[in-house]
Order: sequence, then C-alpha cells, then structure tokens
Amino acid sequence: MEKAIKVINELQEKGIINDYAIGGGIAVIFYAEPILTYDLDIFFTPVEEKKLVTLSPIYNYCREKGYSMDKEHIIIEGIPVQFIPVYNELVQEAVKNAVEKKYKKTKTKTLKPEYLIAIMLQTFRPKDKERMMKLIEETKINNKYLKKILQKHKLDGKYKQFVKLYYGKK
Amino acid sequence: MEKNKVNNKIKKLFNAKARFHKELAKIPIEEKIEMLVKLQEIADDIRAATGRIKTNLRFKI
Repeated sequence: MEKAIKVINELQEKGIINDYAIGGGIAVIFYAEPILTYDLDIFFTPVEEKKLVTLSPIYNYCREKGYSMDKEHIIIEGIPVQFIPVYNELVQEAVKNAVEKKYKKTKTKTLKPEYLIAIMLQTFRPKDKERMMKLIEETKINNKYLKKILQKHKLDGKYKQFVKLYYGKK
Repeated sequence: MEKNKVNNKIKKLFNAKARFHKELAKIPIEEKIEMLVKLQEIADDIRAATGRIKTNLRFKI
C-alpha cells in the first residue's frame, strides 16, 4: 500500500496529474472502522483543463514501470488503483480541500469526511448509504462545514431526508 | 411481560456495539488496512463456500 501511494505521488511530482486525493472506500477507512473494498480510488485534477480527459499519460507511465492493467484498474504494487478525474464541481472542490495524511512514512491526501458524505449523497448507491452511516456514527463530523457544503451543492434537502429516514429526527 | 426491561437490555447491548465500532474507527490506518485484507479473504472464503469461484482479490500490502 505504501509503495502504491509512493507511485501515485511520483505521478504528481512528474506533472502527470495535478492534485489528487484518496476517495471511496479507503478514504472512509481512514475515518471509520474497516469496510470491505477492493480498490484504491484516486480522484485527481488533470494537468490541463480539457473537455475530454485522457488517462493515457497515467497508463503509459505505469505500463513503463511494469504495472499491469485489469479492466479499469492499474495494479500498482499489488493494489488495484482506479484513477478518476474530477467529474464535477463538488469533486473538484473536495480534492482542492483534501487533507494531508500519512500512511507509514509516506504522505498522501484524503478527502475530508464532510466531502465524502456530500459525494456519496450524489452517487447514492446502497453501499454509499452504508458508508455515509459509518461516517456519521463513527467519526467527528463538522456539522457547520457539512451544512455549508451541502447547501452550496444543493444537497441539503437530500441529506435531511436521509437523516430523517435512518435516524428519525436527529 | 417485562417488555421495557428487555428493551433496556437490548439498548445497552446496542450501545456497547456502537462503542466497539467507534473504538475500531480510532485504530491506525495501517492496522485497518491489514484488517481489510482479512475481510477480503473472508469474503472470498464465503464466496467459495457458496459454490462460486474464488476471486483471489486482495491487497498485497
């Protein structure tokens, strides 16, 4: 895992990707108890802002380093990594505001729990709902900050419905 | 019927479970990733036990 993070940092240092942050299940694990996931999601800001983002530079770099591809993943040092370009305003903002973390001795960045909740409210698959509940129940959420994010991205109504459904009038 | 008494016991049990989950959330990320690999192994064993082919999907950490 640490080696995989080092390779992702290299991609940034070499200017192949701009900013990045860990998202998805692994980001949730940074804040909550371990949950089952099979890949490491990397949300990244492309170097150039184009309408069509290509993953070729990332794939080429990894291929040259001898890493194999498996469907939408690149297997970096034994970890299936999926690179996801920031696909909307919320995700872009989430990466910009990501927080620095350490895995062993290696620095990395993860999305903040408040942004993870907002993104999962947008995607809203069954596993997103489960993960949102883990974050709400097991980590300290800055409710003021979360409210601000949700209002900005017009997700506050959906969040209220979610909380009412699963927690009553909390 | 001691309905409320049972409810209180259950409530205590659930509270203890919630505390346990919160404690797990506090452990270092490196340990959590080791636990994740165990979870991936268990999920694969369950898969095999229910007649499906093992995926061998697990992080090599």
